[in-house]
Amino acid sequence: MGRSGRGEIHRWVGSLLRFDRLSWWLVVLAVLALLGQEIVRTSGLVVAVSAEFEGFGDELEEIEEDLGEPFVVPPPVLKEPGFQNDRGPPSEVEDDDETVDLKSDGISTPSSPSGLVKDSEVKKVQEFWDEDEFEGLPEETAEELIVTPPRETSPAGSKQSTPTAAAAATKKQVVPKGPQTYYIEAVSILFLIAYITVYFVGRKRNEKLALAWAAQFACKDGVFDKNFSLLGTGDGVDSPLLMKEGQNVFKFYASGRRYCEGLLATMDFQSRHDLIALIWYMISPRKDEMTVDVFMNEDSMDSLVFAVARRKNAKTMHKERADLLQYASIINVTNRKWLSEELTAISESREVATDLMTDALLEQVFGEKAFEKFASHFISMHFTDQSPYGAHRKVLQFKFTIPSEDRMAEMSRLISTVTYFIDAVGRYKLSPQTRLKAENARAKVAQEAFKENQGARHEALLRKKEERRKALEEAEAAKLSPEFMRKREEKERARQLKKAMPKIKMTRAH
Amino acid sequence: MFPGDPRQPTAAKPYVHPVMNPVDLPPDYSSLLAVMFGVVGVMLRNKAGSWLALIFCVQSFVNMKNVETDLKQVVMALTFAVMGMVTNYLGPASKA
Repeated sequence: MGRSGRGEIHRWVGSLLRFDRLSWWLVVLAVLALLGQEIVRTSGLVVAVSAEFEGFGDELEEIEEDLGEPFVVPPPVLKEPGFQNDRGPPSEVEDDDETVDLKSDGISTPSSPSGLVKDSEVKKVQEFWDEDEFEGLPEETAEELIVTPPRETSPAGSKQSTPTAAAAATKKQVVPKGPQTYYIEAVSILFLIAYITVYFVGRKRNEKLALAWAAQFACKDGVFDKNFSLLGTGDGVDSPLLMKEGQNVFKFYASGRRYCEGLLATMDFQSRHDLIALIWYMISPRKDEMTVDVFMNEDSMDSLVFAVARRKNAKTMHKERADLLQYASIINVTNRKWLSEELTAISESREVATDLMTDALLEQVFGEKAFEKFASHFISMHFTDQSPYGAHRKVLQFKFTIPSEDRMAEMSRLISTVTYFIDAVGRYKLSPQTRLKAENARAKVAQEAFKENQGARHEALLRKKEERRKALEEAEAAKLSPEFMRKREEKERARQLKKAMPKIKMTRAH
Repeated sequence: MFPGDPRQPTAAKPYVHPVMNPVDLPPDYSSLLAVMFGVVGVMLRNKAGSWLALIFCVQSFVNMKNVETDLKQVVMALTFAVMGMVTNYLGPASKA
């Protein structure tokens, strides 16, 4: 039952093996296989292959143009015969034939060594050339290759028209054959490498923090060990204490104590494993948070709604939580020692607030002086018997921030308030008047909810009635064969009689 | 603060993992973005779109929690991203 790394993997594999997931993975595999095929196929002979596709092989030999050359990958190779000789266009035609023949033989080997040499020659020769003299030249056609391979599909007689425009503009682009720069690819790959590195580093850091917390509070002789008999989620003795739900979410469960059914501490760390999230934190940072939920027994907690939060968050908390909004209001206590100025109490009744916030507590944790010293990690605290979240209604919820691993002990007072409040609320009994008030308030809310539900239920009933009516009408309309029905009924009666008959006979035989 | 050993071994309840309805789960923004960028990359032949789709796919894989292993959207995003890559780099109309 423990959610260790192995558990994660098991669930993953289990989900994979479900059929629809399997088909998804097959789709992905198919795509990747195609990808691999493409890569292998197009590794050396990109253009030659595309030329085959475009059916150029024969056309080139027919048309006395330089279009044969574009279809060989390295343009310098093509130019080699042309540049070397510095002949006019007619002679180049001959060379084109040569290159066409070369091409048909299988280009790479004969041309590549000379091609390498010709790179520099190409550049030199370009300087000597007069652009206007030579139209329809290899370099122009090579540009065609670079710019729009499909354009070469329509060469018929347009020898002059296509190159001139491209020639002047992209003459220099002839030499490099691929895209100019690989910025996007480089940046993306670097980002991915960084991402993967951050993943492993961040994950480890989060795990360290979680383990540090557990070592401080959840291990032998820690607070939780002294208070709960069952720690962790597993069954055996060696079961892990913490449950890893995500790379930044860890859960700790404890059970076996008076007044409560169990306690669930959820650690929600920053997403240190996600580079994009880290970049986001530069704009809007957040802290590592811990939420402790204590599920109280039905008979251990009276009807009370009470919360304490930092002054700045109190109003939003009051509005956000449905039960606070419905039952409670912000409380100001001035006639006695009260919470630090940083804190605000929200409660259904003043009595509850003052009773729960005892002097001792104020002195040690929540009062003026103690708060800064001991409770700096406090975020909020919320006791309710009408919890809007989850199935369990009677819940005590505490929120703290988590300090770094070497300062874990700073939280210890706050953690001990958790256990203190379990007992305090478990024993606490409302005075009769307060209880009456509370019960009335809840009854009112329940009635309103019921009315709303009734409205919805009424509509549902009406709908069902209509459906039944329609069904009946259809049955009546389908009185096409009432005789058929009668015959069937007669048959059934006959069958039943037959069944009855032999029995009687047998008994008579007795 | 209160007397007595608070532990009650008999009252111990083992942990029951809460069942999450897939509809209630918080939306997975990174896989949504991955799908969007993947579509952009495939349809508009945009290399940056495909790469971004891949990156967001990786992010959604990384942020996946045990509770919500809803792979469909992520796999769909991954498919789009890979298709985008293939189209942009190896397709017939790719720029070299």
